[in-house]
Amino acid sequence: MTVGNLQAGWGATSGGRGARSASRRPRAVALRWVVAILLLAISALTIFPLVWLVLTSIRPANTVFGGSFFPSSVTLHAYATAWSSTDFGTHFLNSLMVTVATVIGVVILATLAGYAFATLRFPFKNVIYVALLVTLMMPSTSLIIPLYLQLKSFGLLNSRVGLVVLYVSSSAPFAMFLMRAFFETLPHELVQAARIDTAGEFQIFLRVILPLTRPGLATVVIFQFLSTWNEFIYANTVLQNTGRLPLQPVLFSLVGQYQTDWPTLCAGLTMSIVPVVAVYVWMQRHFVSGMTMGAVKN
Amino acid sequence: MKGGDQMTILPVAGRARDVSGTRAPAQLARRRAWRLQRSERIAGFLFVTPISVLFVLFVGWPIIRAIYLSLTRWSGFGSPQFTGVANYTRMVQDPVAGTAFRNTIFFAVLSTVLQTVVPLIIAVLLNTVWRGLSVVLRTLLFVPGIVGFVVSGVLWKLIYDPNLGTLNTTLARIGAASLQHRWLSDPRLVMWSLLVVSLWGAVGMNMLIFFAGIQGVDHTLYEAAQVDGATAWAQFRYVTIPSLRIVTAIVISLNLMNGFKVFDLVYVMTAGGPNHASEVFGTYLYSLAFGSTAGSIPQLGYGSAFSVIVMALCSVAVLVQMLLTRMARR
Repeated sequence: MTVGNLQAGWGATSGGRGARSASRRPRAVALRWVVAILLLAISALTIFPLVWLVLTSIRPANTVFGGSFFPSSVTLHAYATAWSSTDFGTHFLNSLMVTVATVIGVVILATLAGYAFATLRFPFKNVIYVALLVTLMMPSTSLIIPLYLQLKSFGLLNSRVGLVVLYVSSSAPFAMFLMRAFFETLPHELVQAARIDTAGEFQIFLRVILPLTRPGLATVVIFQFLSTWNEFIYANTVLQNTGRLPLQPVLFSLVGQYQTDWPTLCAGLTMSIVPVVAVYVWMQRHFVSGMTMGAVKN
Repeated sequence: MKGGDQMTILPVAGRARDVSGTRAPAQLARRRAWRLQRSERIAGFLFVTPISVLFVLFVGWPIIRAIYLSLTRWSGFGSPQFTGVANYTRMVQDPVAGTAFRNTIFFAVLSTVLQTVVPLIIAVLLNTVWRGLSVVLRTLLFVPGIVGFVVSGVLWKLIYDPNLGTLNTTLARIGAASLQHRWLSDPRLVMWSLLVVSLWGAVGMNMLIFFAGIQGVDHTLYEAAQVDGATAWAQFRYVTIPSLRIVTAIVISLNLMNGFKVFDLVYVMTAGGPNHASEVFGTYLYSLAFGSTAGSIPQLGYGSAFSVIVMALCSVAVLVQMLLTRMARR
């Protein structure tokens, strides 16, 4: 009897749909509560470091160590210090410029190529496609030496344009891969119909196809924004001029500088994650659907 | 407004196809088809040209150059000196390279296991609780994944701080002072401490992939299993797991690749220290080429040899995925 209850409860819960019939049984309900509490504990533990980060950034400097978890008094002093003493605004703007330029570049290249691979027939299509996919397995660390030399020979070292070029070329193939998967879900008749309607290929792409790809584009934009904003190794290597640095290398150098001034350090970190959290919250729905599309279906 | 475009096109297209299909002479249709095909070919080439040019300049050629440089000795000045496989034989004898190799493999394998099993369990459990709660928890669990490795590395460095860090002070407060450690400066613990941070950042993303996979499992399979009297464990083992085989293969290979190429996290938190105890291929090749720690002269040739090794390992990860996917499809 008890075994039967347990079975029904678990079966229903893992199946999802039969939940209504199972939730009437007290045993299954109890089990659900246990799982829920366990998951709540895991989530609390996961989010704890970030809560701690924000709380530390608003503490008065003399109450950082040994105080209670929640600060008894609150100050934004650390934010003012972090902002003014690190020239935060400049680096923030650098990050924003580099990220936006990269996102635009990646979206243009990835949609054009993704569309071509999904719907057009042209010679050497598969060879080019497979070659581009090689990029997906090339970690940024392993190409850092030749890429540094390459930028040097183009005179793009220590330039934000050079950094954007590296970002676009290293991530456009993945975005292309996502967009191709998306374009393949669109009805092919649409293209053929537009073609017979004697619209040029570029017109078809721009007027007929592109407006339909908003969800796919949203996914690419979020992925690209997050990864470019957070990128560290290229930014740390390619740029030498302090005024041109985006945020990540600057945050890294803050550690040595503010080793004991934790509120200032935490304030800097907190300010740096505001844009990614904003993008995440704003476009979260697309994120999940994009993940399913990109990772699971391919 | 944008939706209007396609709505107008569809009926027009229906008429146009009618015309070309039944009434127009065959010759005209053929010529037209040929012209269309040509414009399609040209458009195809034009559309993939920008991405291909960037690929050749910033991926393809650099790969070849890395392989070539790995066979040379070069400080970045003058011209590279061809030395054959000398860099690779040097690697075998270099004790730091040995540590980096062990650490990279250790990190890649353990992070893959942890970052596959833990998110899978959480995803399965999340699927058993109330929908609203599940949405909230998924959102929370994902947040560490959107924070970059610089931020999470610095943050965890503060948490791990031996004297003032939250971890050790909390241990003291709950009366477990004996468990206090120097998390990042103890050579035996440092890789484990890094693994925890890696797991912390990776749970959300992998959990989401598994969750999406579970949502796609055919519900009738569970119903059939229940009719047959399968236990909860049996259902998990014989329905959930087999249905998630391809998803799992993807998660495993993604984690394996991320493990082989690990750099940011280690560089930010320990820079390979203490005394190379947490050195991985990524940090070692970086310090050889750009760091001042490995002597004053950049060793681009020797560094490139590590690049080639990392590339080879990542190709292995892709092979693993192809192999697992093929096994899963069978």
